[in-house]
Amino acid sequence: MRFNRFLMPTCSAALLLTAWWAWAQQPPADAVLKAEAERVGVIQKIVPAVVAVFAPGGKNGGSGVVISKDGYALTNFHVVQATGPLMKCGLADGVLYDAVLVGEDKVGDVALIRLYPKKEGQDFPFAPLGDSDLVREGDWSVAAGNPFLLARDFRPTVTFGLVSGVHRYQYPAGSFLEYPDCIQIDTSINPGNSGGPLYNMKGELIGINGRGSFDKRGRVNSGVGYAISINQIKNFMGHLRAGLECDHASLGARVTTQTDKYGLGQMTVTSILDDSDAARRGLDIDDELVSFDGRPMGSVNQYFNVLGVFPRGWRVPLEYRRKEVRKEVLVRLMGKTAQVLLDPLQPGGPPQPQPGPIPKPGGKKPFPPAPQGPPSPLTKFFQPKQPTVANMYFNNLERDRLLAAFKKHGDFSALTGTWTIAGDARYKALAVKPGQETKAVTFTVGELKDGDKTYPTAQMATEGSTWSLKVLESTDQAVLKQPPSSGGLLSAMYLYQLLLTKGQQGFEDEFIHGGYEPFYPPAKTDKAPASLKDLRVDCEVLRTRTAQYQAKWYFDRRDLRLLGFEVRLTDNEDPCEVYLSDYDTVDGRELPRRMQVIHGNAPYGVFHLKGFRFGEAK
Amino acid sequence: MTFSPALAARKGVVILTLAAATLFGGATAAVAQQSFTDVAAGVNKKMVKLFGAGGFKGLPAYGTGILVSPKGHILTVNNHLLSTTDIKIHLSDGRSFPVRVVFREPELDLALLKIDDDTIDALPYFDIAEAAKRPLAQPGDWILAFSNQFHIATRDEPMSIQRGVISALTDLRARRGDFDPPYNGEAYFLDVIACNPGAAGGIITDRKGHLLGFLGRELKSRLSDTWINYAMPVQTEVELQRDETKVKVNVATFVQESIAGKYIVSNPRTKEKGPGGYHGIVLVPNAVQATPAYVEEVVPGSPAAEAGLRPDDLIVYVEGELIPSIKAFREIIRQTRPGTALRLEVQRGNRLHTINLKLTEHPKQKG
Repeated sequence: MRFNRFLMPTCSAALLLTAWWAWAQQPPADAVLKAEAERVGVIQKIVPAVVAVFAPGGKNGGSGVVISKDGYALTNFHVVQATGPLMKCGLADGVLYDAVLVGEDKVGDVALIRLYPKKEGQDFPFAPLGDSDLVREGDWSVAAGNPFLLARDFRPTVTFGLVSGVHRYQYPAGSFLEYPDCIQIDTSINPGNSGGPLYNMKGELIGINGRGSFDKRGRVNSGVGYAISINQIKNFMGHLRAGLECDHASLGARVTTQTDKYGLGQMTVTSILDDSDAARRGLDIDDELVSFDGRPMGSVNQYFNVLGVFPRGWRVPLEYRRKEVRKEVLVRLMGKTAQVLLDPLQPGGPPQPQPGPIPKPGGKKPFPPAPQGPPSPLTKFFQPKQPTVANMYFNNLERDRLLAAFKKHGDFSALTGTWTIAGDARYKALAVKPGQETKAVTFTVGELKDGDKTYPTAQMATEGSTWSLKVLESTDQAVLKQPPSSGGLLSAMYLYQLLLTKGQQGFEDEFIHGGYEPFYPPAKTDKAPASLKDLRVDCEVLRTRTAQYQAKWYFDRRDLRLLGFEVRLTDNEDPCEVYLSDYDTVDGRELPRRMQVIHGNAPYGVFHLKGFRFGEAK
Repeated sequence: MTFSPALAARKGVVILTLAAATLFGGATAAVAQQSFTDVAAGVNKKMVKLFGAGGFKGLPAYGTGILVSPKGHILTVNNHLLSTTDIKIHLSDGRSFPVRVVFREPELDLALLKIDDDTIDALPYFDIAEAAKRPLAQPGDWILAFSNQFHIATRDEPMSIQRGVISALTDLRARRGDFDPPYNGEAYFLDVIACNPGAAGGIITDRKGHLLGFLGRELKSRLSDTWINYAMPVQTEVELQRDETKVKVNVATFVQESIAGKYIVSNPRTKEKGPGGYHGIVLVPNAVQATPAYVEEVVPGSPAAEAGLRPDDLIVYVEGELIPSIKAFREIIRQTRPGTALRLEVQRGNRLHTINLKLTEHPKQKG
C-alpha cells in the first residue's frame, strides 16, 4: 500500500505522458487543414490578376499584376524594355490580351502597362494594394508569376516563403534599377518572375518581384530575392499613370557615415551643391542628418532607403542637427539622373560594391514557342514624347480628367477680362507697421493700357506703393520677381488668371499632368506643427510652362480643388509659393478667401481676399 | 475523507489532459501561417555581422557570427576572414567594435573571437552548452536560417531569415575547389539555399529560435557536383590529435575552454599536402607539358585493379573535373585522403566508362 501511494500517480503520469506523446505525434489535422485552406484561399484570390507578359512574337517576357479593374498593371521596367511598348499579356483565364506601355520608372525598375479587354467595358480582376511598411521580417509571403515563361495557358506559378528582411537596400546596376527600401524574400523567384506580384497572407499586393542576389550559382533562385515595395511604387503611381518617364530623387548633398564614440553611425553632410534646394534651406557641411521623412538616419543604407523611394521634385521634411540644435526643413529633392537617359544599363553611376544582377528573362535557354497574334491594335494608344514622357496618350487622359474635375469647382472660362481682387494683407515683408493690423491691397490682372497700347499686366497696389508688371515684355529678373521678397507674386497672379480662364490654351510650352506630389500648406496659426509631415496633403500636379514662367499647380487628390501653386523663372531658384484656402462659393464658383505667399525661407504675406471682380470677355 | 491515491490520480488525469490540450491547441493553431518576426528579433540580438579579410578571388570580406558570452565572445567559422588583425563586428544595435581571435579549431572549422573592449558586459548570447544538450534535429524538422549572406545588412539592420526543412543528417561529402572541406563529419542538409557568400558562421534554429547548428561554407557536393546547403550540428564532436594522444572535443568544450583561455590547440592536420591516397595506377611517362593521363599499367591487387581500370585507359574526368594532363590528375590525388572514393570517367576505345576508385593507404614499402 505504501508503495502504491506513490506508484499509482507516477504510473498514471507516465501513461498520460505516453498518451499525450502519441496524441501529439498525430497529424494536427484541423489546424493544418485550416492553414492549408487559408493558403489555398489566398492563392485562389490572387491568381486571376497575375499577368504573363510577352513581347509580340513571344521571344521575351516576364510577369505582372493587374491593379485596377480598367486594366492597369505593374511590371518591371526591365521586362518592358525587353518586350517593347506594345505587349501581349496572358491572364489565368487563358486569354491573351493586348497591352500598351503607360509610364516607366527606369531607376526604380517599374513600369505601368494597361491591358485592354476583348469587349469594351469588361472589368479585369485586380490585386488590392497593401501597405508594405507593415511587412515584417519573418512574415509569410506568396509570389506569383511566370518563371522561365513556362506556362502556356498563362496560369501563374505560385511560390510560398518567408520575408527574409525589410527595408533592404540594393545598389543600382549602372545608373538604373536601384532597389531601395525593398523586401527580401526566400520565396522562390526565377527569371520570368520579374515584374510579378508579391503578396502578404491577406492577398494584398506588397511588392513587385524583380531581382535576386546571385553569385556563383547563376541567375536562378538563390534563396535571396528582392521585391520593390508597393509603398515606393505608390509614390510614383501618379507619374506612372500620367505616362511619365520618372526620375528618382537626390539630395544635392553627399552624406557619409561617421562613427560616434559609441561606435554608432551618424550621417554627416560632407559636401553640398551650392545650387541645391537643401543648401538654400540651410543645410551645410558637418550638419548631422537626424531624420528624413520622419525616419531616423543611422546608416548609409537607411539614408539611401529613404531617398530612393521619392520621385524627383518632391518636398520632404528633413531634420538636421548642428551643435546640439535641431532644425526641420522642407527640402525639394533634385533629380537622380542629370536628365532621364534614354539608354539604361550603361556604365557609370554610383559605385557598386554588390550589384545583384537582374534576372533577365531569357538567358541562354530558348523560350517556349511564342503565343502569336495579330499586330497590336493599340498602336494609336502609344505616343512617346521622350525624354520626359513615355506615353503622351496617357498624360492627356490624366490631365483631361484632372481639368474636368477641377472645372467643377468653378468655370472661369468666360471671364477673360480684367480681374480685380481686393483684400487685406499682413506680415512684415509688406511693411505692416507695429500696431497696424493689416494693410489694404488690390490686385489687378488683365490687358491694361500703357500709352496707346495694351499689355497683359499684373499689378499690386497697397497704401503708398504700386508694383506693375507687363508680364510678357520684361526680361529683367528683378522686375519679373516683383514685389521685392515675394519671388514673383505678380507673375503668379497673372498665371493664376491664365489657368482659370484659358486653361491649356494659355500655356503653349508645356501643359502636362505631373503625377502625385505631397504639398505642405502652412499652418494658419503661428504655432509650428510638431512635424512638417503633419502638414502634408497629397496632391495631383499640373506642370506648365509659358513664356519665361514654369509653374506647378497642386490639386488635392481627394476633391481636386486647387490648394496652391508655385512659380519660378529658372530651375535652381526658390519659387514664389502661393497657398490658397478658405474657399467659399459665389455664383457657382469657388473662391479662395485666404492666400498665403512664401518665398524661400521667409513668409511674404497673408492675404484675406474680400472682393473679386471678374471682367467678362470683350 | 481519507486520501485516495486513485482519486488523486484521476484528478491528475483531468489536469494533465487540460494542460496537454491547451499546449497542443496553442501549438497547432500556430503551425502554418505564424509569423517568425518575434523569433527573428530574439535571434538577431545574439548575432553579429563580421568584417575581415577577403574581397579577392571570390572570397567575401564579410561574414556572420554569434555571441556566446555576455562579455562579447563570438563564435564563427574558421575561414579566411580571420586572416587579418583588422576584424570588426557590428552588433544588432548598430555598435561597431574591433575583435581579436582567441582560438581557432580547424577540425571543428570554428573560431572563437572576443570583442576588444573589456567594459562590454550583459550582451544577449547563445548558451552553447545548453544548446548542445538538446537532442539532434531530425530529417523533416522545420528550421530557420539566419545569416548576413551577401552582406545585405550593416549596422543595426537585422540578419536575413530563411526557412527550410532538414532533408538529411549525414556525412558531409563535399569539396571546395579540389580541396576537402576542413570539416567532414555529420551535417544537416537543408532544402533552403542558405549557404551563400557570407553565410558561413550563421546559424540554423528550430522554429522557436533554439540553436541547432552552424551554417557551413560554400561547398559543392562530391557526388552531384552541385552547391550544397548544410549546417554543422551544435552537438558536433571531433577526434583530434594533441601531441601523442587522441582526444575528443565538441563545440561546447571548445567554447568553454576558449572563453576560459585554456583551450589547447590540436596539432595541425597534414592532410592537404603529401602523397594523398593510393590508387595503384602507373601512368605513361610524363614527357611533355600536358601529357594526357593514359594508364600504362595497373598494379595487381591495387584499388585501381579492383575498380577495373585497364592499361590504355585515358582518364578524362575526376569528380566531374576535366583532366587535361597527368599533372592535373596528380594534383587531385595529392589532395585526396585515403578512404575517399573518386568518380573517374575514362575513355576506353571509343566509349566512356565510369569507374569508382576508392583510395587506400599507401602500402608499406618493403625493406
